[in-house]
Amino acid sequence: MPDLQKLYDAVLEGDQKTAVAVTQEALAAGCAPMELITKYMVPAMDEVGRRFECEEYFVPELLLSARAMKGSLVLLRPLLAESGVQPAGRVAIGTVKGDLHDIGKNLVASLLEGGGFEVIDLGADVAPEKFISAVKERGANIVALSALLTVTMPAMRTTIDALKQAGVRDQVKVMVGGAPVTPQFATEIGADGYSDNASAAVGLARSFVRPE
Amino acid sequence: MPIGADLVLHEECDPAVLLDAERLGLVVAKAALRYKTPLAFPLMDLRLEKADLLQFLGVEEAAVDSFHFDTAPDEETVAGVRMADGRAFSKRIAANHGAVRHIAERTNLFPVGMLIGPFSLMTKLVADPISAVAMAGAGVTPEDDEGVRMVERCLAMSLATVLRSARGQIAAGAKAMIVCEPAANTVYLSPRQMRSGSDIFERFVLAPNRVLRGLLGEHGVDLFFHDCGELLPEMIGKFATELRPAMISLGSSRKLWEDAAVVPKDIVLFGNLPTKTFYSDAAMPVEEVRRLTQELAARMKECGHPHILGSECDVLHVAEAAETIRRKVEVMLED
Repeated sequence: MPDLQKLYDAVLEGDQKTAVAVTQEALAAGCAPMELITKYMVPAMDEVGRRFECEEYFVPELLLSARAMKGSLVLLRPLLAESGVQPAGRVAIGTVKGDLHDIGKNLVASLLEGGGFEVIDLGADVAPEKFISAVKERGANIVALSALLTVTMPAMRTTIDALKQAGVRDQVKVMVGGAPVTPQFATEIGADGYSDNASAAVGLARSFVRPE
Repeated sequence: MPIGADLVLHEECDPAVLLDAERLGLVVAKAALRYKTPLAFPLMDLRLEKADLLQFLGVEEAAVDSFHFDTAPDEETVAGVRMADGRAFSKRIAANHGAVRHIAERTNLFPVGMLIGPFSLMTKLVADPISAVAMAGAGVTPEDDEGVRMVERCLAMSLATVLRSARGQIAAGAKAMIVCEPAANTVYLSPRQMRSGSDIFERFVLAPNRVLRGLLGEHGVDLFFHDCGELLPEMIGKFATELRPAMISLGSSRKLWEDAAVVPKDIVLFGNLPTKTFYSDAAMPVEEVRRLTQELAARMKECGHPHILGSECDVLHVAEAAETIRRKVEVMLED
């Protein structure tokens, strides 16, 4: 049996090679995929988030840890799907129409995946219709909208309005974020939540799917 | 950086202005006169150099904005970019250069050019530059990793492209150059790595900008260095002492009167009202703009550092909020 603490450490340190190697060893030794995720990888990402909140870690460290986690998840996902394990939630994420900036969106997407969510990454410059399709056809229950520019922020409102017009607004929670976005703006446009950083976005998404 | 040209441009309501050197020059001149400055700051468009590079590499115009390399360009491609310095500029870039020429030859204003910095241009060419730079900072070499190889080669192409842009604007008559490096910040560069002695800031940001600074210096062109990203004080100190700009422009997250401590007195500080939030009366009421302006002016006077009052960023046009933005800029300039 491999030392699974090494998996935790590899995710925490953003060491993708080691994370993948330990995951392979663990699977070969018969470890349950879900156990690797819940006992080692998710706690490691939670610790990454904690370190980010107290400014021990920064965005590059978040990305490297998420990258390590994703490397392992590539091996684990097919096995989870076979055994019928459901994700924490299904998030359709994208940078809104007219905005090509995707660094922040990619970061949130990576951390959501690390947090156990299935992520439908729609990319940048995403038209409202694509978010609607992701809800209707792929079962997204959270829509995450990103914008970096004040110029493109109005497209967040347009997207939420389009979800209403398509009759799917009540099926989803909408979260928004991006450098110029404020909590007031989120409220004004009818979003369900706002996060000012990627780590907190995972907590927000978890609050949406938590049983009341 | 200054928002004046952007505000005036949007009054024109004719996209053809962007391709017309004379009309664009008039927009820049009108902005300088309206906002009472002898500095003819051009229109900010940090997509131009990416378009110039990718046009040369054969990427279709419609795909330029969203284009990212998915593998490292080969060494021949990098060398080809360096060699092709004399090729013609696109109409859009030529119009920008023509606007600088208009200012230099037909007004009494001080002609200023603008370009994206080499590091920030590199980040627009790679889908995930942050991880690759962090890996480089952790000691991963270009030989070991495709991502690290990609950022290094894209940085080399970016520097060549930026130097070409600078030469074009200098030839048009620019006497100062605004170099915008908004990506050289603590999102893209880990403070943890920098503080533990990594060379990423020197290698990816300072070194290429030093080459650019050398070119400007050879032509007697001043450097106006702009970085509205999140920064450490030591990064600002390095920009000041290593690049020796005439002016440093920072984002609204900085307290300029505190940053004055790490910037020599012969370097002007520019900024830094939070214009990115001017669109919203809830987030930034007019009275708060007035208060922030007065506080900044008073604090800068108190610390005795040369300062030009300005905005943090040019990218702010929101059609439905155009009037409130304009009103707040006017409030900034009261008194």
